[in-house]
Amino acid sequence: MAHGQAIIERIRRVSAGIQRLELAVEPAQQIIGGGQFFLVRTTGTYDPYLREAWLPVGLRDGAVIVERPTRYEYAPNQVIDVLGPIGKPFPLRDSTRALLLIAYEATPAIFLLMAQSALARRAAVTLVLIGQACRYPLEALPSAFEVTRAEYHETWHERQQQIAWADQIFAVAPPPYDVPAYLRLLEDVQRIRHAMSADLLYGIFQPPMPCGVGACQACLVRLHNGEEVPACVDGIAFDLTRVNLLQNLPDSTGV
Amino acid sequence: MFEITAGKSALRLNRPLMGASGAFGFAGEYSKLIDLSLLGALVTNPISLKPRRAANSTRVVPLDSGVLIHTGLPNGGIHKMHRQYAARWRTSPIPIVMHLIGSAEDLAECATFLDQQSEIASIELGINDTLTAREVRTVVATVRARTQLPLLAKLPLYQAVNVAAAAADGGADALVVAAPPRGTARDPLSGQLVGGRLYGTWLKPLAVRLVGQLAPRVGVPIIGCGGIHHPDDVRDFFEAGAKAVQLDSVVWVRPDMVAAIANALSGAELTRAAGALADEWRPYGETAERRTPLIVAPPPPFVPPPPEI
Repeated sequence: MAHGQAIIERIRRVSAGIQRLELAVEPAQQIIGGGQFFLVRTTGTYDPYLREAWLPVGLRDGAVIVERPTRYEYAPNQVIDVLGPIGKPFPLRDSTRALLLIAYEATPAIFLLMAQSALARRAAVTLVLIGQACRYPLEALPSAFEVTRAEYHETWHERQQQIAWADQIFAVAPPPYDVPAYLRLLEDVQRIRHAMSADLLYGIFQPPMPCGVGACQACLVRLHNGEEVPACVDGIAFDLTRVNLLQNLPDSTGV
Repeated sequence: MFEITAGKSALRLNRPLMGASGAFGFAGEYSKLIDLSLLGALVTNPISLKPRRAANSTRVVPLDSGVLIHTGLPNGGIHKMHRQYAARWRTSPIPIVMHLIGSAEDLAECATFLDQQSEIASIELGINDTLTAREVRTVVATVRARTQLPLLAKLPLYQAVNVAAAAADGGADALVVAAPPRGTARDPLSGQLVGGRLYGTWLKPLAVRLVGQLAPRVGVPIIGCGGIHHPDDVRDFFEAGAKAVQLDSVVWVRPDMVAAIANALSGAELTRAAGALADEWRPYGETAERRTPLIVAPPPPFVPPPPEI
């Protein structure tokens, strides 16, 4: 974890909706694992007030490649303020040979750095895009990925085979849809995999993170053992058998 | 050196600068990013007698130049928190002030417990914004009777004028003006209205005005808090009558600014010299250019959050 400035060295438009930025970051921030990310300010003003989460999708010659929507404009040599890496790397097992990644209504970019490690270890990677995630351009994905698309979780027809096939499963969904999506997935996995090991299924929790160090307590995730842990420090991937999903369901009385 | 005394005990701050409750965590969460010894003291996140759980509803709503936070003030209760953090508090380079929340009875029990502990240098009471002046006096007096530690009372922003004198009468050794006010905003992710505490740059004028109103009227030191994001903001609080300040959400958005503010306060004049021109008033050696944004880039257009495909 470090706080410093980075320079946008190169901008590549990957598709109509996605661009990738090569960032020259501080040496301490070049050591980043799949699942870790940066909290970034692009302006010197306080509007927007909170930092944006920037997801690394690759590393090249000391530069970190992040993915951003093309609706945001950046310029080469632009200096940005970077906090991170935030969180822990995804717990990808060395023994994993069949990796199943599921994106519900969200960009699968958070998986790409980890997936490259898995491919380098000759693991097979299957990516399931559900709902809005189907709009993610295939040309932005490694060609070694097997990609499945479905409009809804229920219309993901290959889920029986793919869940049974996987050594590890990682799922991402944006809040507030994350907990309902993970509940459905956990139910399926428990039904399909009768002997479910503790580190089989991970859900990614990405609530807004004001501080990124666990101080503000805004991103706590409730576990079955009663603990509440900050996603920005102990996450962002959590073993879904450890998470008390029902108690993490948002209530409808916010005021 | 700024000192708040209570009988034989005192809270001594090397710098009149504190980390505010709710922003810096319970014990050194920011130690990897900030040299905490630059602060005069650290106020813990709120701690209650009994455990409290995190809020179930949306906890963060981004706002223009600010943020709404609704955490539910989660903590494990004073005894568990003390067991968990006592060793770190004991070795802290700066005094630890424990921020307590709860009813008068709960606060009194917490204060009795803390009076036996050596790790805590002072207590800060979070004054609930629903209390009347009479109730505030009772709460503070009840806690005062149970502890010899210096007692700070953090006042609710919109009630501060009404309850400040009562808190001082009840035995508070200093008043913190003020706690982040409550607000309600629509969460763009869930579409719901969410209530919570407000943080942002725009709070400073409100808090500075309150400090200016209260400083001549109460007989105890005022600690300014709210919207501080720059050394100049601290200067405004001091000029209004504050004896020290607390930093809150600036540490989330610009952690480097904590060091900038602390260094600006080191050995610097804290009041404007009579007749000084605005351009001459740069006690921390900051140049005019420094006030311009460090990063020049077009602000991104407002776009609703994920899904971002």
